[in-house]
Amino acid sequence: MKKIKFFATALVALAMSVGFMACSDSDDSSNVSNMERYQQEVENAVRAEKTKNKVILLVAFGSTWQQAYDAFDLTRKEYQKAFPDYDVFLSFSSAICINRAAAGENTAKRNFYEPMYWLEAFGRVQYSEIIVQSMQVIPGEEFSRVVNAMKDFGNNKLGDLDDKYMSKFAFDEEGNPGENVLKLGMPLMYTEDDTKTLATELDKNFSKYASMGAVLFMGHGNPDEYDTYKANVRYTQLETALQIKNPNYFVGTVDMADNFKVQVNNRMKAAGFAANGKVFCAPLMSIAGDHAHNDMAGDDDAWAEEMATQVEGEAEDVSWKKYFGHMGYTIQETPYYTDNGADALVKGLLEYKNIRDLYIQHTKDAEAVDFYHSMYPGE
Amino acid sequence: MALLCFAVRVAAQDVVLTDTLETVVVTGTGTQHLLKDAPVQTEVISGRMLRQFGGRSIEDILGSLSASFAFNEGDMGSQMQLNGLGNSYILVLIDGKRLTGDVGGQNDLSLIDPHNIERIEVVKGASSALYGSDAIAGVVNIITKRHDEGVMVENATRYGSYNDVRQHNSVGVAWGRWKSLTGFQLQHSDGWQNTSMENTPSSATPVTDSRSMTVNKHTSWQLSEMLTFVPTEGLELYAAGTIHRKGIYRPKGKYPKYDVKTFDLKYENASAAIGGRWKTGRGDLLSLDVDWAQHAYYHAFTSTTLTEGFDATGRLILDFPYFEGQRQLQSNQQRTMVQLKGVFDLAACHRLSAGMEARFDHLKAPTSVEGGTAKDNTEAVYVQDEWSWLCWLQLTGGLRLCRNEGFGWRLTPKVSAMVKVGDVRLRGTWSQGFKTPALKEMNYRYIREMTNIVMYLGNKDLKAQTSNYFSLGGEWTHRGFNVTVTGYLNRVDHMIALVTVPRTAAPEAYRIQYGEQLNKVRRYENMEDARTTGLDVSVSYTRKEWTIGGSYSYLDTKAHVYDSDRERLERVVIDGMAYHKGNVFLTWEHRFAPSYALGLGLYGRMSSRRYYQIDGNGKPFQIWRLTTTHNLGHSRTMTYRLEAGIDNIFNYSDRTPHGLHLGTTTPGTTFYATLTIRFKTGKNLKFSNNNKFNSKKQQSDEED
Repeated sequence: MKKIKFFATALVALAMSVGFMACSDSDDSSNVSNMERYQQEVENAVRAEKTKNKVILLVAFGSTWQQAYDAFDLTRKEYQKAFPDYDVFLSFSSAICINRAAAGENTAKRNFYEPMYWLEAFGRVQYSEIIVQSMQVIPGEEFSRVVNAMKDFGNNKLGDLDDKYMSKFAFDEEGNPGENVLKLGMPLMYTEDDTKTLATELDKNFSKYASMGAVLFMGHGNPDEYDTYKANVRYTQLETALQIKNPNYFVGTVDMADNFKVQVNNRMKAAGFAANGKVFCAPLMSIAGDHAHNDMAGDDDAWAEEMATQVEGEAEDVSWKKYFGHMGYTIQETPYYTDNGADALVKGLLEYKNIRDLYIQHTKDAEAVDFYHSMYPGE
Repeated sequence: MALLCFAVRVAAQDVVLTDTLETVVVTGTGTQHLLKDAPVQTEVISGRMLRQFGGRSIEDILGSLSASFAFNEGDMGSQMQLNGLGNSYILVLIDGKRLTGDVGGQNDLSLIDPHNIERIEVVKGASSALYGSDAIAGVVNIITKRHDEGVMVENATRYGSYNDVRQHNSVGVAWGRWKSLTGFQLQHSDGWQNTSMENTPSSATPVTDSRSMTVNKHTSWQLSEMLTFVPTEGLELYAAGTIHRKGIYRPKGKYPKYDVKTFDLKYENASAAIGGRWKTGRGDLLSLDVDWAQHAYYHAFTSTTLTEGFDATGRLILDFPYFEGQRQLQSNQQRTMVQLKGVFDLAACHRLSAGMEARFDHLKAPTSVEGGTAKDNTEAVYVQDEWSWLCWLQLTGGLRLCRNEGFGWRLTPKVSAMVKVGDVRLRGTWSQGFKTPALKEMNYRYIREMTNIVMYLGNKDLKAQTSNYFSLGGEWTHRGFNVTVTGYLNRVDHMIALVTVPRTAAPEAYRIQYGEQLNKVRRYENMEDARTTGLDVSVSYTRKEWTIGGSYSYLDTKAHVYDSDRERLERVVIDGMAYHKGNVFLTWEHRFAPSYALGLGLYGRMSSRRYYQIDGNGKPFQIWRLTTTHNLGHSRTMTYRLEAGIDNIFNYSDRTPHGLHLGTTTPGTTFYATLTIRFKTGKNLKFSNNNKFNSKKQQSDEED
């Protein structure tokens, strides 16, 4: 009997060691239901706040910085004031920014969601007018994603929106908008004229610095191989417009070919800017996030005597502040960060009232677009 | 035979040697040798040292008792270094078998039950023909406790600061021709936070109340079973299996940029092995081992998270939603190995080992590998000859021929020599290593979310790494005094390392999705050359109840990577390297009564600054520890033992802000106590201070 017991135990042990091989690693969820579940969450968020029949969606890349959240909140408030007939929602296109904004503890959770989810939810609750305002500075790569999300909406990509409702977004034969309207508000520098308007407003904010030394704006820009809509030219046009106000203004970028900080320095030298003159850097981005704090005002300094610029002309791992310091200019340390933010230079464009007003004007000027395609083209 | 002769000689000596020197080691050659006569330099952390030290984890043990190791017990697990080279160059074995872990080389050290270790053997450099040439930095062989007779039931529970719990339980039954050993271990810590400061740019508002942890809360458990059957004398068959689960839990704070995490980390490991060994009538030994191991890694979401996933059409998108409670497979790596080995005593002083090995690696990573899976296989044959015609000279030569599916054939020779002159041993080794790029290094493409987002890119153009290791050392043992000095040079050609590349190297979809937060793109690249040179010194002296000792390790690394933009070689740091590391110890043991023995130990370890390519250097540190051990009771079947101690008695901790490298993650002063209770029938294995050389064991078990 003992022997039998022992062999039974042994068999169980053997079975266990074989059983370990049969572990499954399948995911816990099915893909379709997750996307629909998420969509319903967005829909509920819209239903919870919907008080009007028209809606404005402000679309930004997103950020994880509190300073940026504050700027977005301020912008939303002003939009609510300027557009009393509209619900106003904020959207991020960056997944990580959305994830982290929605997950914090001991802080207000914020649901920014991606534009495609918002638009689908707007369609489900059947807003009669939808304005999508791009919070981008140039009509580049990120702007193209905003447009694509709108096209997906117009095409009823998921195929579950009421076609009768959707068909009202179609233009009539004369090219006039239908009963429902889908509008697109353009980025800050959509046209060359926009660059002149922006130059005027920037000069109001920065003339006191420009009178003391060079004001170097740091924009984002599209990388060379992805210069969507050839939008990079707007930075050059902005610099031209600004230099009419004061030759001390320069506009560079972190990603645009031939317009990195190295080329900004070359242009400063060519313009005869004093070798040890004062330099102020400011972000030309809607919010002050990683680029502004790290690439512009950060303490990264991989500079060494022998360190040459890279082939494409960028010197990575050196912030603008440090780079222009190494170039012999006098860097003003103090105004970068102040406790109340009043005089700080590391501020996003949305932190300036007159620039927020420019965006609001773009929303007022938003043009209707006809992205509707019937799901039943034969009918 | 020679060994047996030696055993007799040891027993006849009057001098009380430390147990370390009497230890039998197996790692260097795969055959048993007394440590002091091992032809390949072997560093041993003995069972006695382990018990006196009372380490909480293998990281704690190796980091404190050997100057050659360095660890970064970070929030995502441990990074180990041996003489300057990282995890993927270190082969960790448990009783001669590869530890389950990431095929990318990250060993999951929580698989090792610190209380179940009999001793640890470390062989540096690619010195062993037996374990594969990919152990370029060295081999760490964890020899576990055995159970050979009667019934044994053991529980050891360790409790320490930060709710640190270590549970070790084992039940062993030896009955006729059958033996069974079942183990269960649990490891848990609540984790700790050394600072609530984040590393913020000077232009930003400082973050002083971050919830980021220095070491995150983690729990792991493992169940293991080993069943042995001896059908006839000389033949032993076994089947073994383990199952292991680990979770790393990350807190959520209020700074989305710094301390908000949306998923925890989960690991599922499993292994199964069968095999046997046959000792022939003339004393030759043949063994066959087949083992399979799995290491699966998941993200377990703690709030809604958009991340890589597949939409309804099966297309990879970077913003697929997962919800709290769901999890996503990051990677599942499976390794199957078949090993056949023979050890033949050709003549009295001539022992030949020969073997073959086949290894199949399979990586499943749906969102991180194009096509979802990758695989690789490597085969090897090897021979090793131990030659000891002259009593003062032992020569060991090995040849290993490897073939890898993608990288072809490679022959790697190893030669070791030991010269005995009185109490002095001189040892020299030259060995070559060959390590093909790991599946992850070639195929992986993933985003890691820390303070900044870093993208890691595999590289299909990687070349295999080769190495030449030279070491020369001397050992002098006299009347309880032992000193070893070993110098080494490890030249690694085409060493694979992560190198920061321009952001434009990231695939477009990732660059657009992560935008400005994509702080760095790092890609696996072959360095032009890399070399580590160093000197290891250890000294110990045992007199009566006292033992004093220490070790020191000097390390210098040089590595160059070709910068194609600047068209020149750039010197880079091998991450984590420190020039100077050392440890010292003083122990005293005394039996006051038959039922009570006391042990006291004082341990110190120190390291100079640790260097990194990015995110700052780690501060130098020194940490001291006081331990006590109490053997209680006096019974044939029951053993009671209490260990208690204070770690980091001077309360040092590195308070560098989160996001930058630390010299050490120690939380400051901590306390611990361990109670071990063991019931055992049959041969009484005491927690003896002298683990006597056991000739019976030597005869029956060629390889531990």
